[in-house]
Amino acid sequence: MNSQAQPHLSASGLHKSFDTGDGRIHVVDDVTLEVAHGEFISLLGPSGCGKSTLLRLIAGLVGPDSGVITIDGRTPEQARADREIGYVLQEPALLPWRTVAANIRLPLDVDRRSKSLLDWRKKVRIRGSRSNSFTLTSILSCQGRGGSDEPTLARHPEVDDLLEMVGLDGFADYYPHQLSGGMQQRTALARAIAVGASLFLMDEPFGALDEITRASMRYELLRIWEADRKTVVFVTHSIAEAVALSDRVAVMSARPGRIASIIDIDLPRPRSSEMEREPDFLAYTSQIHDLLAQRAAVG
Amino acid sequence: MRSENRGARSGESADENLTPLHSPLSPPPVLLYTLPPAVALIVVGLVWEVWTRASNTPEYIIPAPSVIFARLFEDPVFFAGHGMVTLAEAIGGFLLGTAVALVGATLMAHSRIIERSLYPLAILVKVTPVVAVAPLFVIWFGFGPFPKILIAALITFFPVLVNGVTGFRSVDPGALDFMRSIRASRRQVFMLLRVPSATPYLFAAFRVAIPLSVIGAVVGEWFSADRGLGSVIIVAHSNLDMPTLFAAILVLSVMGIALTILTSVLERRALFWHDIELGSDKFS
Repeated sequence: MNSQAQPHLSASGLHKSFDTGDGRIHVVDDVTLEVAHGEFISLLGPSGCGKSTLLRLIAGLVGPDSGVITIDGRTPEQARADREIGYVLQEPALLPWRTVAANIRLPLDVDRRSKSLLDWRKKVRIRGSRSNSFTLTSILSCQGRGGSDEPTLARHPEVDDLLEMVGLDGFADYYPHQLSGGMQQRTALARAIAVGASLFLMDEPFGALDEITRASMRYELLRIWEADRKTVVFVTHSIAEAVALSDRVAVMSARPGRIASIIDIDLPRPRSSEMEREPDFLAYTSQIHDLLAQRAAVG
Repeated sequence: MRSENRGARSGESADENLTPLHSPLSPPPVLLYTLPPAVALIVVGLVWEVWTRASNTPEYIIPAPSVIFARLFEDPVFFAGHGMVTLAEAIGGFLLGTAVALVGATLMAHSRIIERSLYPLAILVKVTPVVAVAPLFVIWFGFGPFPKILIAALITFFPVLVNGVTGFRSVDPGALDFMRSIRASRRQVFMLLRVPSATPYLFAAFRVAIPLSVIGAVVGEWFSADRGLGSVIIVAHSNLDMPTLFAAILVLSVMGIALTILTSVLERRALFWHDIELGSDKFS
């Protein structure tokens, strides 16, 4: 995958440290990473290894002390301005006074002239298998429901698509506090997709969910991702989650946070939860487990 | 409602069936909140009635509730008319004070320098007893309703300002990160995120400020008025007309209660998404 012409995301020689009360902490230490277009890569490591900081660096929310990040040849700030970055956090961070549909619509409200969603729809129509049918039905249903009574509440057909995509059809008019944690996170995911970004940065998006919901959300995410395979950088501290989702897993070590090794996950797609019981899968998880254990013993 | 919220947050339900954990909100059990205080009020009234009768307390010291009510219903137009004057002054003052406070809070939430320069002035306004400046306002602005509105505005200004600044700043950092990641402008962040985030704080301030605005209007009327319940109280006081004085106080209490209930209703409407507990007060 790396042999392809230009990487989507490339980071080289990244350093970032923070001042704390008792001295300087080197959070990200000489991280170099290339991510190809359409690749799903996980950053895996113990708490405090700088995974989240690395993600915030890529998003351009904080600046590095040294090193260079390019996203399709642009700086993170430019990529952000071009709305190429979809950000999903551990907390769904929804706006509690907006309904599910209105939360998903937020990126559209912020940028009215957004070409983004139309772009995304075109791609889905070409690549996705059932996209034609659901685009059509959702346009019809939108005319039936939204338009006439209150124009401000009229739903974008895109929002209906997104609701269906994340499995929340019928919940458009619910408020976040009426939803379970998993459904809130689905909403956050749909909101990030509505940005129309090509690069998704996910910071432990399932970290606040219970184990059972979390396990099913993995494959839900993969199902959505399979539709048009955007590039995803996924931060997690769950080994099984990283292996199940990723093309590659970057194992990070803590203090200073650096990439200890990168492991290619050569498992067939589409993947399913049954796969987690197969020997290949377990071989990967135990390999990574050993790697992390060694690191912990050394540190 | 609160306990169900907790369940929703911790994700205890299986996610697959996608059933909402509770349907859109049902109204609060009104009787539960209104019945006990109503009973307490009636008991206090009865004790008062019996006590004034039994002890033969003269009417010019403490009139019995029955006498007060008799005076009230003897001339309802009189009390309603003066009540409306006071109410209009209080609401006018509240609106003026709130508007100025919100503009100030917006500026202060966006700029530390403005906050540092204006905050001491706001505190100066707060610590100056309104009663002390009221006579001054009469000299400056005459005997009309304007000085009363100004006093009511002055007294409501500070709580709204302080809670406004706190509210505009108390945004969910995750939501702020997301807004930044999609390059929302400062104005969009303010309108879409900061203003709604501030509403619980603002309503907490309103619950303090609205009764204060009535106090401001009455104090204003003490100094210079021929209209309004404040002037009714002053005149009745000089005539030792206690039934009229008490009736005016009663009307003011009812006005305060009505305004507080109105605020609570609006608060519930506006903050359906927010955990509200009766009696919780962010301002304190």
